[in-house]
Amino acid sequence: MRNFVLAGLFAGAMALPAAADYTIIAPANPGGGWDQTARTMQTVMQEEGISRSAQVQNVPGAGGTIGLAQFASQNRGNPDALIVGGYVMVGAILTNNSPVSLADVTPIARLTGEYEAIVVPAASPIESIDGLIEQLKADPGSVSWAGGSAGGTDHIAVGLIAKAAGVDPTTINYIAYSGGGEALAAILGNQVTAGISSLGEFEAQIQAGTLRLLATSAPEPIEGVDATTLKEAGLDVVLENWRMVAAAPDLTDEQKAKISADIEAMVTSENWQKQLADKGWADTYLAGAEFDAQLESDIAATEAVLRDIGLVK
Amino acid sequence: MKRGRDTAALFIAAGLAVVGAVVLWDSARLADLGGYSGLGPASVPRVVGFGLLGLALWTVIAALRGEFPERPAQNPAPVLWIVAGLAAQLMLLHAAGFSIATGILFAFTARGFGKRNMALSLSVGIALSFAVWCVFSQLLMLHLPAGPIEQLIFRRG
Amino acid sequence: MDAYTFLLQGLATASEPAMLLYALIGVTLGTAVGVLPGIGPALTVALLLPVTYRLDPAGSLIMFAGIYYGGMYGGSTTSILLNTPGESASIITALEGNKMARKGRGGPALATAAIGSFIAGLIATLLLAFLAPSIVKIALVFGPREYFALMVLAFVTVSAAFGDSALRGLTSLFLGLALACIGIDQLTGQARLSFGVPDLLDGIEVTTMAVAMFAVGEALFIAGQRVRQDDEVTAVKGSVWMSLQDWRRSWKPWLRGTAIGFPIGAMPAGGAEIGTFLSYAAEKKLTKHPEEFGNGAIEGVAGPEAANNASAAGTLVPLLTLGLPTSATAAIMLAGFQQFGLQPGPLLFATNPTLVWGLIASLLIANAMLLVLNLPLIGLWVKLLTIPRHWLYAGILLFATLGTIGANPSSFELGMLLAFGVLGYVMRLFGYPIAPIVVGLILGPMAEQQLRRALSISQGDWTTLLQSPIAAVLLGLAALAFIVPLILRARGKGEVLSQMAADED
Repeated sequence: MRNFVLAGLFAGAMALPAAADYTIIAPANPGGGWDQTARTMQTVMQEEGISRSAQVQNVPGAGGTIGLAQFASQNRGNPDALIVGGYVMVGAILTNNSPVSLADVTPIARLTGEYEAIVVPAASPIESIDGLIEQLKADPGSVSWAGGSAGGTDHIAVGLIAKAAGVDPTTINYIAYSGGGEALAAILGNQVTAGISSLGEFEAQIQAGTLRLLATSAPEPIEGVDATTLKEAGLDVVLENWRMVAAAPDLTDEQKAKISADIEAMVTSENWQKQLADKGWADTYLAGAEFDAQLESDIAATEAVLRDIGLVK
Repeated sequence: MKRGRDTAALFIAAGLAVVGAVVLWDSARLADLGGYSGLGPASVPRVVGFGLLGLALWTVIAALRGEFPERPAQNPAPVLWIVAGLAAQLMLLHAAGFSIATGILFAFTARGFGKRNMALSLSVGIALSFAVWCVFSQLLMLHLPAGPIEQLIFRRG
Repeated sequence: MDAYTFLLQGLATASEPAMLLYALIGVTLGTAVGVLPGIGPALTVALLLPVTYRLDPAGSLIMFAGIYYGGMYGGSTTSILLNTPGESASIITALEGNKMARKGRGGPALATAAIGSFIAGLIATLLLAFLAPSIVKIALVFGPREYFALMVLAFVTVSAAFGDSALRGLTSLFLGLALACIGIDQLTGQARLSFGVPDLLDGIEVTTMAVAMFAVGEALFIAGQRVRQDDEVTAVKGSVWMSLQDWRRSWKPWLRGTAIGFPIGAMPAGGAEIGTFLSYAAEKKLTKHPEEFGNGAIEGVAGPEAANNASAAGTLVPLLTLGLPTSATAAIMLAGFQQFGLQPGPLLFATNPTLVWGLIASLLIANAMLLVLNLPLIGLWVKLLTIPRHWLYAGILLFATLGTIGANPSSFELGMLLAFGVLGYVMRLFGYPIAPIVVGLILGPMAEQQLRRALSISQGDWTTLLQSPIAAVLLGLAALAFIVPLILRARGKGEVLSQMAADED
């Protein structure tokens, strides 16, 4: 019993003060990218004194649309509520016919982002992105792609690649896995032809030489990454899997400005930069009107490709 | 243990048939996106739906033959108390907060198990729930709904 | 330096008094949160991870290991004592463990779970330390078709837990399979059986369902009993400790559970619960006391608990060597490792040996600490059952709903808890077994997805399932497990065979 009291005191000393300033909704299960982003925000905000104490709440499900819907309806005008989201949400809102969209919340800023990487197992006979595209053109069914959930970033990227290569996007043989991890196992085990996911998921394997990186979806070659971009290979595909933070709907301009300032303070802190470096996330902070414009163009492009794949009617 | 016709079991069979029919109806609505596998999102629900219909038929036969085991005698009142407690917690959770809603569940459950002194069990329940709320919400940062009691003691802001 | 030097160095660091204190705090916190029904190890670690941030790396690592093991073990305690599994991997533990607890054998049940977890954890962690790179190569051979075959085998063998009526067992299973269809189809993004309700898009949460079926359904059933039956709870009968016979009956299941659990955990899509299912089925087959199964057989606790812990250590194999998080808990652990600057992957053992061996040493110490903390506490835990029934069940429902609310504070989730609780009550009333519906909910989607993936890769060619030797062998075993009992029953005349046949149901 004494141990428990001791532990309670111990935990208490670290967790107090009690009252929460920000409540950050992570619309996913613990452990995923959004959850980690939310928990990193929580740590940095508390340590930098931006928020005396922040709570993270997981509302998992359906590519974040369940959390988004709950967030939008329960927090109208609440300046203390934040939600983490990202590009996956854009696709999920469309494929799930979600009644709530990003227009129903107040997007604040893009925080981090990763580019997509196309890889093959080291034992694969395919040596370059051109070789993969050739096989795709000859027989689309024979190229099985392992990636994340149906309608997610990875699936959209494959659709875009097929389209850019002049292949009917409905004929792609895309094998959806629940997370990057399971897809990676399938690629390493030589179960599929190619794999597609965020570059970070593959990085360690590429360095170890168990995977061959064919191309990335970055606009320009990434420093320190030895691979061509899809664009250089003649495929007009640029795709960033970004994560953002949004606030509640119906905020006053002052409230919105206050949140934007807090987020900017967080992003510019050394602590945040260190956390990003530890986790291998790129700082792609973008806020204000520029972010709104970027969001709009992403939504339009995504809707078009999801229609092409046949996931949105 | 053979008995006569078992009416309750016939209701179960009807329920199974309805569930099976709903599964089949829903699967008919799904687009065929089988792609290269030949198995689309509707394939497995179809198998499950027909399986349930088959089991419904089997249940009817077993019920008519009286092959269901004797059921233990049950008092409805205690069961209803607990169900009412869960329903009350569900409806009051966001309005009254964790402690009050869960305290009511606690008291109703104790009532269902024969503890008649509601005043006592309600106060024990609310006190216990509040202690639990403090530990989990304040120390461990688990998100639990706050109501008047919680806000009185841990004022926001 | 070679591996042994690193390990010894790590163990020396982890045995300093301050480190032992951190391990103790971690294990205590982990157990305290992990005992809540519905809060599994993943959420426990996620909740408590920030607590470790303020310590130096070594202390933080060891507290983290303690939290992890504490969270794992906490779930078994409530499964055994209160019949409320905290996560899917301890569902099987509840089957026999709770029966034991009701007969006053809660002490031995908790002890065999604790010691079995310790031994499995010890062996599995050592295997992890010395064999991880070669094990992972074998695990990667498993593709969709092999996993599908493994699921089929699990389905067939776990039907040992289906009770004495084929009709009611199958009905329960098919209800579980129907529930499993609810939500977005992973492979095509199509919403199934969700009728436009957004809360249903992500399917039925297994923990909500398990807590409702076991805790709520059970509370309703016991409250409604007109005559108190002979399954009246006895807190303690005989010794709280394991008798010599208990030891004799436990040690083989511990080792077998470890042997089954570890490789399945190491497979990227194996899943901890499958190991517990297979271990339970194996123990039921091999036991000398078949009549005790279903009534509190100690083997049915010892084996699955060992399998559960071994498979947890097994998930660290792909996590450390490939950077592959294969379960929710592993994904959180990955986040934790990154906090310590540890980047899991194929080069980890080469580039960062001090941290890896420090982690492995921490896991060993935390595992031992769990045993030290929990064995003396068993007497205290068992006292829980002496609380008057009205307070006990009121408390169970309090904590069961706390787990659900804490994981997802929506009225909808509580509504599901209530609805499934009533379903669990009705099923108990009519003699339907509870385990198959939960098994169907867990295995159904796994089997479906792997089959569809396998067929996608082969472009619709079903013979692909038999072209892989591993898949063919697994399917063959499943077919044998299904057909042999049928033949025995068909020929069955006389006591012995019908006894065996009844056992297969």
